[in-house]
Amino acid sequence: MSGKPSIARIYSGFTRGTECVISELEISVTPGIPTFSVIGLCDSSIRESHGRLISALGSAGFKMPKGHVTVNISPAYMKKSGSGFDLAMALGILFASGQMKYPSEKRIYAEGELSLGGSVKGTPGAALRLNRAGMAGFEFVLFPEDERDSARCTGSDGQCVESLSDACTVFGFTGYRPEHFEMGDVEVPASQRIDISMLKGQEKTKRALILSAAGFHNMLLLGSPGSGKTMAAGILAGILPPMDPEETGEVYAMYEALEGASAKISTERPVRMISPDITPGKLLGNAVSMTPGEMALSDHGVLFADEIMQFPSQVLDLMRKPLEEREVRLFHNGSVCSYPARILFVGAGNPCRCGLFYEPGSRCRCSPGSRRRYMSKLSGPFLERIDIFSEMRSIGKNDMALMYADGSDAQSPEIKEKVATCWAMQRERYGAKTFNSCVPSSDIAETMRLTKDILEYCSELASKGLFSARGYQKTLRLARTIADYEGRPDVTRADVSEAAMFRAHEL
Amino acid sequence: MDYTEKEMRDFYYTAVRMNTPVDYKTMREMKDSGLIESHRDLYGLSHMPESHIKEYCLSNVSMRKITEWLDRKDKVEKACGMYMSTAAQNDIKVISAHSFDYPVNFRLLGGMPEVIYCKGRTELLKRSSKNGSVAIVGSREAGSYALCATESYSRDLSDKGITIVSGMALGVDGMAHRAALEGKASTIAIVAGGPDNIYPSENRELYKQIASKGLILSEMPPSQQPLRQYFPSRNRLIAGISDCTLVMEAGAKSGTLHTASFAAAQGKEVFVLPNNIYCENAVGGLRLLEDGCCVLYSIENVIDSVSQAILCRRMEYPDLMEADETDCGPSDMRSGDKDRLAMLKIKADKTPEELTDDEWKALIEDKLSVKPLDIDSLSGFLGLPFYRLSELLVGLQLSGKVVLENGKYALTFI
Repeated sequence: MSGKPSIARIYSGFTRGTECVISELEISVTPGIPTFSVIGLCDSSIRESHGRLISALGSAGFKMPKGHVTVNISPAYMKKSGSGFDLAMALGILFASGQMKYPSEKRIYAEGELSLGGSVKGTPGAALRLNRAGMAGFEFVLFPEDERDSARCTGSDGQCVESLSDACTVFGFTGYRPEHFEMGDVEVPASQRIDISMLKGQEKTKRALILSAAGFHNMLLLGSPGSGKTMAAGILAGILPPMDPEETGEVYAMYEALEGASAKISTERPVRMISPDITPGKLLGNAVSMTPGEMALSDHGVLFADEIMQFPSQVLDLMRKPLEEREVRLFHNGSVCSYPARILFVGAGNPCRCGLFYEPGSRCRCSPGSRRRYMSKLSGPFLERIDIFSEMRSIGKNDMALMYADGSDAQSPEIKEKVATCWAMQRERYGAKTFNSCVPSSDIAETMRLTKDILEYCSELASKGLFSARGYQKTLRLARTIADYEGRPDVTRADVSEAAMFRAHEL
Repeated sequence: MDYTEKEMRDFYYTAVRMNTPVDYKTMREMKDSGLIESHRDLYGLSHMPESHIKEYCLSNVSMRKITEWLDRKDKVEKACGMYMSTAAQNDIKVISAHSFDYPVNFRLLGGMPEVIYCKGRTELLKRSSKNGSVAIVGSREAGSYALCATESYSRDLSDKGITIVSGMALGVDGMAHRAALEGKASTIAIVAGGPDNIYPSENRELYKQIASKGLILSEMPPSQQPLRQYFPSRNRLIAGISDCTLVMEAGAKSGTLHTASFAAAQGKEVFVLPNNIYCENAVGGLRLLEDGCCVLYSIENVIDSVSQAILCRRMEYPDLMEADETDCGPSDMRSGDKDRLAMLKIKADKTPEELTDDEWKALIEDKLSVKPLDIDSLSGFLGLPFYRLSELLVGLQLSGKVVLENGKYALTFI
């Protein structure tokens, strides 16, 4: 009990959006009538820790010290919440009250929520916090057993603890025994995605899906009810190459922040479906509560807007900026919170009110005027974000029979391989995570190796009305993807011709 | 220009019809009785003894007419020679019901002339039956409203590949021809006199233009002056050759009304441009509307009507629309095309990789000639991978042969 310190310092962390802040906890115990106060803009989830601490300390065989216990969490000007500070507070109290020897020269990081029985539980946002803690260089890193997956994703060093007693042994005789965590092999469950060969008799859409995957091009599918638009989104997810460890970590961190330990590590790209009743808050995220929206959750994956024509047009227009900047930025009280949103957007909807416009036989009863009004919901600037348009028709009788007859020859895995090589080519050309669809538009002629002949041919097509002037660059980008997919070093006229087929002729 | 033996007989038939009392009825009686098989046999008949003719039981009236013809044999032959020399000088072609170029629409109707005379591009006759034709007729002193409408409708229809037929009169007719020539398709002028006869003479310039870029057609032999009584008969041809008729402006007793009633009698749609009720020269047109003609207010309705007519021809008389016919070899292109397509189809089945782009394009056009198709169906029919098909289709679009309408690819008929 020599040199009983009145103040103990220990570190923990909290998240704001996708950012993580490491905070320093100072715990002081001074004699007097017992009080417990936590200061530093904490919300009630932190203040309530009093009850958990008393019981957990008791369960572990310690005592809540008799006196004024003050916990100061810095930086004190930032609002913080969450029960992840419990473990750090408990350890701090033990050090400050002298119940455990305080290694005052060491920097200690601890996080986790305490239960009344003294066990330590994980809290959401662990992946982000551990990532940050790993960078700060602590001598001791303790986190709950539940957060093992997060540690794997972030590649942290540290020790998992199951209970408060576990944590105390680290400072007792067993000592600190850190482990190094790594992602390792992720178990890939057999893909549940529909195979592309199921898309019978819809050659254009099939090709559109492949090209969309190959160049990460946003896509719009228009067709009658029941023509397989929703199926197409599932197929698309099945032909996208798996995520690399870095991407997997990023995606996991996002989901972990939202769902806690129930999130699963998976290399399969996320596919988020949104429906017309979505609110702007759900779509972009909430700036006040700092929760990510659907656009952030589909980072590195697919965002599928079903029945896109039913969306309020202001909601669609909200997506314009994030699609362009590839990140969602939220503003609240002068602070900016941004989530990455490198997404492949797929919209699907009907071409007119009755939905039968593209059906064989003229079954559609909509007048050209009503059709125009219907399509006008998609604003020009929004359509500018779309590279590929394809129409879909209901499946004919013969194709329907074929669909279920010879479902054996799966084509998706093979296409996935080709798409992966196509991505590798683009990575080599532009650097990581940049695709034909999102290369900055200056100088694409040079970076994409487009000859003068190709540029002229493209403008000839534009002048014949095959696509609009703003479709010019989109066509070139898509042509580059076609050439990549077919393994050609240079873009040919045929590639441009094909790309022109996917432009919006009649929108 | 030289004429074949068969064509000479066509001229001879016209000479008989023009210079003797032998008329339509007599001709039919002769055919029914087995005396002759076609109009071309008249020439042979003139060298037969009268007793031979009498063996066939013809009515007295007809017999008298035939006798009169045989009496004037020399005069008829002289007229025939004169027609032929004038025709040769003016580069006029003769087309009879036996020839390949004879308009399909004439074949489908009764009472159309067996022999017609043409100056200009005779291939327009085949093209007009394939891509459709519209008669645009109206008053000679039409108001600016009717003229303006004539100009825009004629040009727009012509741009859609539809041949414009009219009577080369002043006013609406002349405007229709001029505007049609400015469009992508061409025009056929059906005149009351011989095809070498320029009437009215104010239209001399227009006549020259049509003769070089369009077609001038008449049932009258060369050198024949347009007589007053020929005009209604000419109007019947205008209605007969076209798939529907547009009446731009018609007075209460206008000849245009003849054309409209002929068209209606032939079961073709008549569109009438609605006009000002205070405009006296438009009463005939308004009466037509009252009688139940279609109101002309949109080019789409006209095109619908034409495409229906084309479809009917295709469905009901497929052999007339395809290559056929006995003589006139040189223009027998279509049957060659047909053979080639059949060959290509076999080749496409067996060795698709050997087909050139042009051959594929021919197959695509063949598929689209039946009805517009979307790209998925085309790909299904031809068994062509998407990237190849898209390249070919964009090529066809660039050359203006195919357009994308309502999500389907359609031929433009140019």
